[in-house]
Amino acid sequence: MSLLYPLVLSSALFGIGLYGVLARRNAVLMLLGVELMLNAVNLNLVAFDAWFADALHTGQVLTLFTITIAAAEIGLGLAIVLALFRAVRTVDVDEVGR
Amino acid sequence: MIGRWTYVVLTAVLAVAAAIWAIPHVGDDGGFVVFGGPSDGGPPLPSLSPDLLLYFPGAAQIVLLAVGVGLLVQIYSTAYLAHHPRYRSYALIIVLFLLAMIAVVGTTNLWVLLVGWEVMGLCSYLLIGHEWETGAARAGAAKAFLVTRVADLGLVLAIIVIGETYGTYDIIRAQLGESQNPQNATAIGLLVLIAVVGKSAQFPLHTWLPDAMPGPTPITALIHAATMVAAGAYLAARLFQLYAESTVVLTAMAVVAAITMLMGAVFAFVQTDLKRALAWSTVSQLAFMFAAISAGDPEAGTDHLISHGVFKALLFLGCGCVMHAVGSSALSAMGGVRRSMPVTFWTMTIGFAALAGVVPTAGFFTKDSVLHAVEQATDGDGLPTVVAYGLLVVALVTSLVTAAYATRLWLRTFFGPSPAGREAHEAPFAMTGPVVVLAVATVALSIGQPFHLGIAAVSTVISVAGIAAVVIVWRRGSTLEWAPAPLAAELRLDRPFSDWIPSLVRGVSRTVVDLDQDAVDIYPRSSAAGVTLGSRALELVQSRNVQRYATILAGGVVVLVVVGVVAS
Repeated sequence: MSLLYPLVLSSALFGIGLYGVLARRNAVLMLLGVELMLNAVNLNLVAFDAWFADALHTGQVLTLFTITIAAAEIGLGLAIVLALFRAVRTVDVDEVGR
Repeated sequence: MIGRWTYVVLTAVLAVAAAIWAIPHVGDDGGFVVFGGPSDGGPPLPSLSPDLLLYFPGAAQIVLLAVGVGLLVQIYSTAYLAHHPRYRSYALIIVLFLLAMIAVVGTTNLWVLLVGWEVMGLCSYLLIGHEWETGAARAGAAKAFLVTRVADLGLVLAIIVIGETYGTYDIIRAQLGESQNPQNATAIGLLVLIAVVGKSAQFPLHTWLPDAMPGPTPITALIHAATMVAAGAYLAARLFQLYAESTVVLTAMAVVAAITMLMGAVFAFVQTDLKRALAWSTVSQLAFMFAAISAGDPEAGTDHLISHGVFKALLFLGCGCVMHAVGSSALSAMGGVRRSMPVTFWTMTIGFAALAGVVPTAGFFTKDSVLHAVEQATDGDGLPTVVAYGLLVVALVTSLVTAAYATRLWLRTFFGPSPAGREAHEAPFAMTGPVVVLAVATVALSIGQPFHLGIAAVSTVISVAGIAAVVIVWRRGSTLEWAPAPLAAELRLDRPFSDWIPSLVRGVSRTVVDLDQDAVDIYPRSSAAGVTLGSRALELVQSRNVQRYATILAGGVVVLVVVGVVAS
């Protein structure tokens, strides 16, 4: 399989994620955008691991690490959003920043 | 009372010390030197030749005059300014002034002389403005300071040129030394002339002296009649050798002296204020000294300086006694005090006689010497003959006017009806004492003075004519109020100083202000406007919106990537 397909896919995912982070006003959806970008990177790691045919599979190992850390990160992020919501009764970042 | 006499004691100590120093040098051509002099470590002086006026013979007498009048003025002031609130500063400035005067006369170093000269100017300023509650005193003080400062610039430049020309700042060494640049004599002379014209209130820088009269009368007697203004004549005489070769300088000095002596005498005649009249008389008499110097006889000028110092101090102190009695210096407030103030009357009579040039006072003999010197100058050696004759004629006319105004002031002060409701009384002893001493000195100084029969006869005839004319007019009932409008306004010679220069300065400064506001300020103002605009532009970026920051960040990354791809 050509390397191009997963790279195009991951680029699309990253672009959608970036759009979500930049354009959305809802904090939860911004976090989802961050997750999309993160997983686009994960996809890249796996694709390049296969492409290089690395004997130690460094890319896949690193992906596992990243997924673990992403889980922790999203937990922390959602906790912050929850705390924010409890404090100001909204998750709209424009409202919060005002 | 005790407090005031301590200053008298202080001055007396100074006077005795100066006298011990100076008396051995009276009439001594070997010179009176307190500072500097030939033993200051420079190269040895060539042997002295007796026909040169190397050291200044009058210096010791001038120091004695200064400390003597200074001491008398201190004694006088204890009574005259008995209730003055700032007596201490007044008395101490007098002492400072005397020290500066000794420095000026007793030094041979031109820079020390300059320091003393400036300190004298400062003391003059402080003492004119001593009663600074009145606007006239403040204005007079500022005027005197500014005018004499302009002239002092001439002295500084003269010193520099002398140093360049002779390679030394020592007067004696310069007089003995070879001039490296003989044509500098004219420059030196003209610069010295500027300096002394300001200090001695000669035309055209004369206007400060009459305006200095708001100062306390004893100060006028000491500084503005006897010593400081005479220091100008002293300096011109002391440096005479350095510019004696220059006909230009001698002619300029003669012209200045001629204009000033006649102008001062005429203005003195038309004054309605005794003190101001005496001030104009001082201006006129100082011009006599310059006439003698320009005629090539600085010794005659110095002799007149000393006799004038004594009799003019006498007149001013006597004027102070009369003012003390009648409470005003206006002639209209005086009159008829002859009986109530006999001591003042007789002493001031001697003073006026000396001013008018009546035998046997010192004023007669020294004026005689001056006239003789001017007459001798008509041989064309030094001054051009025409100028010398002109100077002689003006001097004789001035003698006539001087005799006339002296008589007029004498009559208006002591004779005639006294204003109604006024009780004049003789001044206290502390005031009459110094006046009597000065009167005695005025007569005593005539002992041993040179005498020139021909010119003495002429000047006596002229003086008697002037006195007689005024007395006859007075006998016919005139009040001697003769003041045509232009003369009463003193020909408005003050205008360059009171109107023209201020309006010029004001105009120039207005232009400078406009220039500053319109041209120079554009730079700071436009840069401030630029900074304001720039910060407005930057403010657009600072939105407090994190997502917009992130957008810019992402856009930047895209741009960098595109640039990187294209460039590679």
